[in-house]
Amino acid sequence: MKILLVEDNERVSQFVIKGLQEAGHTADHAATGRDGMFLAASEPYDVIIMDRMLPGDIDGLAIIEVLRKAGKRTPILILSALSEVDDRIRGLRSGGDDYLTKPFAFGELLARIDALHRRAEGVNHEAPLTVGDLHMDPLTRKVTRGNRPITLQPREFKLLEYLMRHADQVVTRTMLLENVWDYHFDPQTNVVDVHISKLRQKIDAEFERPLLRTVRNAGYTVTASE
Amino acid sequence: MMRSSALSLAMGYVALGLAALVLFAAPLWYAWQVTIQEGRAEYLQIDAQRLTEVYRHEGADALKSFIDTRVGMQIAGERILLLTDASLHPLAGNLRAWPAAVPATPGNYKVNLGLGDRGIQEALVHVTNLGQYNLLVGRDNALFRPLQTRFWYGLAAAVAVLCIAGLFVGIITRRALMTRVHSIRQTVSAIIHGDLKHRLPTHVNDDELNTLSRTINGMLDQIELLVHGVRNVSNSIAHDLRTPLAELRSRLEELSLIRPSTEQTYTEIDGAVADVDRVIRIFDALLRLAEIDAGMRRSGFVSLDVSDLAANAVEFYEPAAELKHIDLTFRSSGSLRVSGDPVLLAQALSNLIDNALKYAPQPGSIEVAVQRSAGGAEISVSDHGPGIDEAEKNKVVQRFYRGDASRGTPGVGLGLSLVQAVAKLHGSSLELKDNGPGLRAVLTLTIDESGVSPRETAPPEPAAAAVAPSTLALP
Repeated sequence: MKILLVEDNERVSQFVIKGLQEAGHTADHAATGRDGMFLAASEPYDVIIMDRMLPGDIDGLAIIEVLRKAGKRTPILILSALSEVDDRIRGLRSGGDDYLTKPFAFGELLARIDALHRRAEGVNHEAPLTVGDLHMDPLTRKVTRGNRPITLQPREFKLLEYLMRHADQVVTRTMLLENVWDYHFDPQTNVVDVHISKLRQKIDAEFERPLLRTVRNAGYTVTASE
Repeated sequence: MMRSSALSLAMGYVALGLAALVLFAAPLWYAWQVTIQEGRAEYLQIDAQRLTEVYRHEGADALKSFIDTRVGMQIAGERILLLTDASLHPLAGNLRAWPAAVPATPGNYKVNLGLGDRGIQEALVHVTNLGQYNLLVGRDNALFRPLQTRFWYGLAAAVAVLCIAGLFVGIITRRALMTRVHSIRQTVSAIIHGDLKHRLPTHVNDDELNTLSRTINGMLDQIELLVHGVRNVSNSIAHDLRTPLAELRSRLEELSLIRPSTEQTYTEIDGAVADVDRVIRIFDALLRLAEIDAGMRRSGFVSLDVSDLAANAVEFYEPAAELKHIDLTFRSSGSLRVSGDPVLLAQALSNLIDNALKYAPQPGSIEVAVQRSAGGAEISVSDHGPGIDEAEKNKVVQRFYRGDASRGTPGVGLGLSLVQAVAKLHGSSLELKDNGPGLRAVLTLTIDESGVSPRETAPPEPAAAAVAPSTLALP
């Protein structure tokens, strides 16, 4: 993936660029709004990571608005030190696709970039999903593993569907909270983990090879690979 | 001396008083003068006429002796009489000579005369021609002069009294006002210098200044409360952030000092990241609280169904409760719409359930209920845990307060204060009731009648819906 990072803080930039490169992506860095705007407009990127508050006269949201008006559809993830819900809404309204508050865990950033990229590639919401021998048909809401049918509660179905749509990607707890439950806050206890282990009981317990795996310090992933 | 509003006000009143006095006195003076002039001229005319009669009927000699008799009889000086021949030589009367300023033609004149040894100012005289004789009658004005003088003195005295009284009242008012303003100024400057305990002096009577003082005192009460709150919170923040930061610091310091094996280093780093996450979580919770307190979140208000909201929260916590062998049930009397912030209400409810899960005995039960009550849409979370002592009820909603029962459990002590803040934002408050045993936390929200469809406005089906619990327990 070719990624552009527009961020003025040097340490954060170094950390993110290095991390992205280690994850196998190509990453460009712009330290000012002007450079960021120029790069974003001229180069074809898969995802743009945009800091909201930039030094100088152009702020992150303004760049996003300009890009969107110019017809650029590149997915944009907004990074911001402002955590208030209103700021989040303003960010998404200006044309951003996702919003991440600083400080953040790198795993969270990576997972969200992957999800944005996947979403931009276009999703067929009706096509059956398959991971290894696990099948899901979003239309009939039937789930099978091997040849055995699996009965899921509606919310469990939604959870598994989200995980399977992001198969082979890391999905963080926050992403699950936001997308499966629409909860934009941090519940104090790790309730998500309990939901995952219940789901795991249903899809993995009686099978030799687990598909739903925990990724340490990051979240979960559904994958058929080793 | 600074410009005084009291003094200029008094001056204004004095000026107004003077104007009123002039407006009153001027017409009076004019009317008086005109009446006197006219009366006197008429009197002289009658006098002259009577003398003319004497002359016509009895001749000049009779007139002469008549005049002499009158002059001899009268009180000295009041009446002026003079009869002359054609060459203005005096024949009879009390004037020694014809006054130079008066012509010998009939008419009224005003002249200064010498009568005997005294002068008469502005005497009014009337001149008549009787054949070859000239007759002059006149009157001394002295009679009216003291009256005029008294009038002027009276007027001057009135002006003086008015001015002095005005000045006096002005100074008194100013002094009283300055005393009060001064005391207000002293109080305010004490407050400016940081002592928020001071209040403006107020009196029993409710004048303008007092009303203002009362209002300002109310404002000061609010400010003191806020400042106190901020101070409390910053103390708590300092305390609660210092603990994980201290742990983090010693962890890192130890790491750089001991330089343990790679594997152990990784474990320590993970621990350090967890410490930082804890700090971030406290920060996030505080920021959100501050945000809610500032009342900025009203923009997020929409019409929503609290019954749905609660059902979702219960469903979310169901597996966690099951794991603890706690029976989490949900009871609802049907759809109830309120106007509120869905994110914050969900978080508040989740905090309440989370709290109940922490303290409910295992195995045990927790009931979440949504029902229409007299006050509105009532959301309650009841457990059968240790509950909260009456004395502690006020404290648990304070920031960072953690009851004895919570020692050893995870959490930062902001959960209930967030619920309280969210309730306040929605014009409600968090009630902590005794569930005998246990705690029943109740949030009552105003029902949004406008958002209710006609079918839902009908009162909830009594017993049937309210009693039958729609338990969402998973199989």
